[in-house]
Amino acid sequence: MDVLLRELREGPDGIPEYNDTEISAAELTIGSGADQNIQLLGKQVAAEQAIIRKSGRRLELESRVGRVVVNNQKVGTAKLNNGDVILIGGHELSIAEPPGGFDVAIILRPDTSIGAGEFEGAFRADLKQTWLSKRKVAWLSAALILLLCLIVPLAAVKMHRADKPVPAMMPSDAFWTSGPLSAAHRQATGDRCDSCHKVLFQHVQDSSCLECHQTIHDHVSPERLKLTKLDPTQRCATCHREHNEPESYMVHSGDKQCTECHADSATLFPLLKVEPVRGFSKATHPAFTASLLKPRGVTGASNANDVAAVQATQPGVVPFVWTTEVTGLDDASEQSNLKFSHSQHLDPDRVRRINDSKALSCLDCHRPEQDGQHFEPIRMESRCASCHELTFDPGAPQRQLPHGKPRDVILTLQDYFTRKFSDPSAAEPVRARRRLPGHDDPEETCTGSPVECAKRSARNEIEAQFSRRGCIGCHVVLDTKSDTLLERFQVYPIRFQRDYFPAAQFDHRSHQIQGKLTGDDACLSCHAAKQSTESKDLLLPALPKCEECHGDKPAVQRVKVQCISCHAFHPKSTDGLTGRMAKREAVSIRSESKDKAQ
Amino acid sequence: MIHRSLLRYRGARYLWWALILIAGSSVLYATQNRDIQPPNGGTWQGYVLGTIGALLIVWLTLLAVRKRSYRSTNGSVQGWTSAHVYLGSALLIVATLHCGFQFGWNVHTLSYVLMCIVIFSGFFGLYSYINNPQLISSNREGGARSLLFAELFELDKQSRSLSQRCAPAVAIAVDSGIERTTLGGGVYAQLFSRDHSYFLRESSKGSALVRNVDQQALIDHVAERLPRAEKGTEAANLQQLIILLCRRQAVVRRLRRDIRLSGWLKIWLYFHVPMTVALLVALVLHIVVTFFYW
Repeated sequence: MDVLLRELREGPDGIPEYNDTEISAAELTIGSGADQNIQLLGKQVAAEQAIIRKSGRRLELESRVGRVVVNNQKVGTAKLNNGDVILIGGHELSIAEPPGGFDVAIILRPDTSIGAGEFEGAFRADLKQTWLSKRKVAWLSAALILLLCLIVPLAAVKMHRADKPVPAMMPSDAFWTSGPLSAAHRQATGDRCDSCHKVLFQHVQDSSCLECHQTIHDHVSPERLKLTKLDPTQRCATCHREHNEPESYMVHSGDKQCTECHADSATLFPLLKVEPVRGFSKATHPAFTASLLKPRGVTGASNANDVAAVQATQPGVVPFVWTTEVTGLDDASEQSNLKFSHSQHLDPDRVRRINDSKALSCLDCHRPEQDGQHFEPIRMESRCASCHELTFDPGAPQRQLPHGKPRDVILTLQDYFTRKFSDPSAAEPVRARRRLPGHDDPEETCTGSPVECAKRSARNEIEAQFSRRGCIGCHVVLDTKSDTLLERFQVYPIRFQRDYFPAAQFDHRSHQIQGKLTGDDACLSCHAAKQSTESKDLLLPALPKCEECHGDKPAVQRVKVQCISCHAFHPKSTDGLTGRMAKREAVSIRSESKDKAQ
Repeated sequence: MIHRSLLRYRGARYLWWALILIAGSSVLYATQNRDIQPPNGGTWQGYVLGTIGALLIVWLTLLAVRKRSYRSTNGSVQGWTSAHVYLGSALLIVATLHCGFQFGWNVHTLSYVLMCIVIFSGFFGLYSYINNPQLISSNREGGARSLLFAELFELDKQSRSLSQRCAPAVAIAVDSGIERTTLGGGVYAQLFSRDHSYFLRESSKGSALVRNVDQQALIDHVAERLPRAEKGTEAANLQQLIILLCRRQAVVRRLRRDIRLSGWLKIWLYFHVPMTVALLVALVLHIVVTFFYW
């Protein structure tokens, strides 16, 4: 296609000047770029703005960017005729009758107000001309956030509530979490926020917690709470804060939560008579008080207050009732009815183990239970019998008396001697004994009938067991002076306290090693057993003993303890702290001893 | 320089405001009772810090409105911008203390991340506004960009016209070199001055498109012909043409540098502005969602 381009300009004297250019090209390109056949400058002219090409016999104009004006009409494409006027960015191009040898003639009247500086328009020299767009990105990101963080999660909430499965990849309300759940709660609830968050815009209710935590008890029962001036609107979540890291925050461990109320117990709950606590030192914590077994008296009658647990009745046992009394540790004593000296048993010159002849160790008798806090009950058969045999006839060392059944002891002895005298050959072989000066052996001196001799020997042995040696060594025995042997001696039952500090926890395991002290030394550093000669001695350490190693604030050579190190916030009993209070006041253990057979 | 004085506006008055804000926020943060829960947005101090942060974000966004209110007498734009910079920086600390350094895959941390993008892109913008204008100005030698383009246009015209009087191969080389000179272009090309210029080299083996980075290859090509020029006028024309092409090379260099510097001066806004809008949406969601499940 051969084109004649005539550029018309107004000369300095007002007379038009023209400049003809011949262009040979397949298509005629128009734009502000330097590579265009007709280069037109201006902000409104794209680098490649339009093309004029031959379409059959006619000319065709195609705008490549936006539209151009042809004969005062904006068009994208147009068929061109002679005389048509094209306007591009102020420049005027008129199609004229081509002279011979040319296919097209165009008269260009450039907009002379457009300077060469507008050449910039031929290039993309500003970020605005790129794909970057503040507005589009803003709208897009805003819409995405709304969709993914609000609308879709809300739909997931709705699906959860309708029990419809939510696809794993679907953004759910888990995206609203303010932090990770604790592991146990995560395991229990999965990704279901509505396990606890039942209603939008509402705090998690205690009822949601109690769905699973059914065995937890109130710190203070509602009845007792009424007696206080405490705020009854506390929620579980007041102390137990979820969605926080680290997980340990799930259980509130700060002392302040306790002392906020307990420091001012006289004002906040005077009726409950709770001593004020401000910390853990002699000055800020009440002195330790122990729940001790105290005899309530010897009685055969049953008292409604005393009956908490009734021991199996035993003939030959004194009816004895204990009460649990809470008293301070100073000068406190306990009546277990056992005769026992810790100092004697711990003295290797006096007592040694049978199997290895070593001194007794605390653990030989006191075996910790699995909870690490309590000890297995001490039973004669398992703890004492290996040393303390219940033999009664030196001539028959393998015959032993039954333990724990005084009536059976008497019957056994009577049986034994009856047989021994009625049928000497059936009796155990008698070994030769050296006679003690001044002591007659009744068996040898008995000259009566075998029945009489048997009766006398049995009586002598029974009296000896209950008043001179044998049972009397460990037990307290009541001699009623009754003529009937079966009723004459009544043994006081023995009972040990299981938990001296029921309101506190103490882990013996974590105290097995104290500094450089281990083994018995560790035990004896708190429990003054070596100085104790009687079972009534209370070997419980007092608060200053704890203070040697512990304090309520971190300090050098002090291990910090908090209220909940020893005290559980949620009581074990169902009725708040009333259970423990009731135990303090009234729980007793009763043993009745009426031998119904007698 | 307006951009430098942004930081020193009225003796860095807003720097002190920001420092006071940071100090106050730190005190609030430190007073959180760590017994019940770790420092987080849910304590009363956390709520106060969050409210301060949210109000700050809204106020910082209002700079866009103030900038466009030419008739406003509500403080100078310069003062607003100075405060925008300092208080916006302080926001980073206020928000971090608000969240108590707790982060996760959730809408709350999304808001925080968006805020960080906005603030750090702002830091980059501040850096650009302090550095680039001087560089741009000295590169343009005080003139406008359009002057450089006008000069390029004239040099193109003159080179083309002069090349017509030289050997056809020279004319083709110059013509194609001018037509195929690239300037600017896409985002990457503008920011990193990517040069995809070519020219058509005629030789005995035929013609080939040759890379013309920094227009040097074209100049070398024309210069190579100088020793072989037969007529005196041809040599003079070639010499004149080389001078024009060298001038043109300098102008193209300047323009390329100008486009690059201007690009870096503005690119941060393409993050700062849209992410501000996204942040506002995320911020509203963060607040609403907090009370969905609280």
